[in-house]
Amino acid sequence: MKSNGRVLLLVGSARRPRSTSESLGTYLLEGLRKRGFETETLIIPKIFGSDEARNALLAATDRSDILLLAFPLYVDSPPALVIKGMELINRHRHAGQELKSQRLLVIVNCGFPEAQHNNTAIAICRRFSQEAGLDWAGGLSLGGGAAISGRPLVKMGGMVRNVIRSLDLASDALAEGNPIPREAVDLMSKPLIPSWVYMLLGALGWKRQAKRFGTRKKLSDRPY
Amino acid sequence: MKAVVLNGSEKGTSILDGAYKSILDELTALGWDVESFMLHDMKIHHCLGCFGCWVKTPGICVIDDAGRDIVKKVIRSDLSVFLTPVTFGGYSSELKKALDRIICLISPFFKKINGEVHHKHRYDRYPRMMYVGVLPRADAESERIFNTLADRNALNIRPPAHASGVIINNQSKKEIREDIQTLLRMVEVEK
Ligand SMILES: Cc1cc2nc3c(=O)[nH]c(=O)nc-3n(C[C@H](O)[C@H](O)[C@H](O)COP(=O)(O)O)c2cc1C
Repeated sequence: MKSNGRVLLLVGSARRPRSTSESLGTYLLEGLRKRGFETETLIIPKIFGSDEARNALLAATDRSDILLLAFPLYVDSPPALVIKGMELINRHRHAGQELKSQRLLVIVNCGFPEAQHNNTAIAICRRFSQEAGLDWAGGLSLGGGAAISGRPLVKMGGMVRNVIRSLDLASDALAEGNPIPREAVDLMSKPLIPSWVYMLLGALGWKRQAKRFGTRKKLSDRPY
Repeated sequence: MKAVVLNGSEKGTSILDGAYKSILDELTALGWDVESFMLHDMKIHHCLGCFGCWVKTPGICVIDDAGRDIVKKVIRSDLSVFLTPVTFGGYSSELKKALDRIICLISPFFKKINGEVHHKHRYDRYPRMMYVGVLPRADAESERIFNTLADRNALNIRPPAHASGVIINNQSKKEIREDIQTLLRMVEVEK
């Protein structure tokens, strides 16, 4: 099959062994592979630390036609290393050589159940794409990312049906050379579960984890 | 009164110099005890996203490095100033490596504010917060994103007062000083 081009997935979460960013990004990447794209994945927090690793990031970026950037929301914006990656790519793209035409699609997931918390991070990515001369293919925004917690979407059943539909629409659009449609954005931002359930389960989750560490009574400590 | 200034400049650049000096001068003139940190000279590991600071060692990051000291200084200050080159509308990676580490200052438990979920406070008191961005040239979109980001951060931390503003690199010293004075008035910094 003739290649439709090359896609690089950049995962911006440091969570190991699994992150929700990776679940979302991997599903989309697989969709694009089925639509005739060659694919490659880099986990951003794994590649920082040496010059070779940075060069590898830039080389992988250079050989791609589409960049997929999937990251968790940290303090209302992209995590530090994702910003570092953007700074490097931006500088590299302005370092003299002719700008290759490339598209950027961003997927942000956050902890709070409302997807709108991600709006500022998406605006930052869009600004990055303008400054770096990338074509903005769009931004998908998911709230309540902990409900996925790094599990493969295909094994998750009905709860993620809107997420899957959104990513399928995004694959179709990218394969046709279009920006992702409004419908994909809207589907992704639909709550996975009602916010009161999320708050309840979240609080139970913290307590259960604390029990494991023997910190159940210390969760509200003020060490400073 | 104690102020902490986090300087998020990129190594080898000078775009923040004027604003940085002005912030230090103004606070010192007002009689504040100022401690400042040049973040690019500090080894601060990136946040691992593990939430250990909420469940394993509540209130303290599991990484024992300068990131921990900064968090402690921030919560013990009366004013924290975050200075950064406006980077795609947001913070530089240098400032962000420190900011990502401050979630241990809030509680893991939730609270609704204006119909949105946020976290509860961990501490009774938080410092006032001032966000200062510097741009090489006027750029309304980046400025709008920067001020929105600061407002969103303030909604999550809910400091007693906060202010944000963007300085353009070619402003005169006097203009920069006036801008900083305005921001300091907005966070109600008095002698
Ligand atoms: C340092 C840090 C800051 C965070 N800040 C926010 C935030 O501002 N708003 C939010 O909704 N979630 C926030 N979160 C939660 C993450 O976005 C959420 O847990 C996400 O699902 C993690 O995705 P991942 O598995 O891809 O890493 C933060 C998490 C960390 C570790």
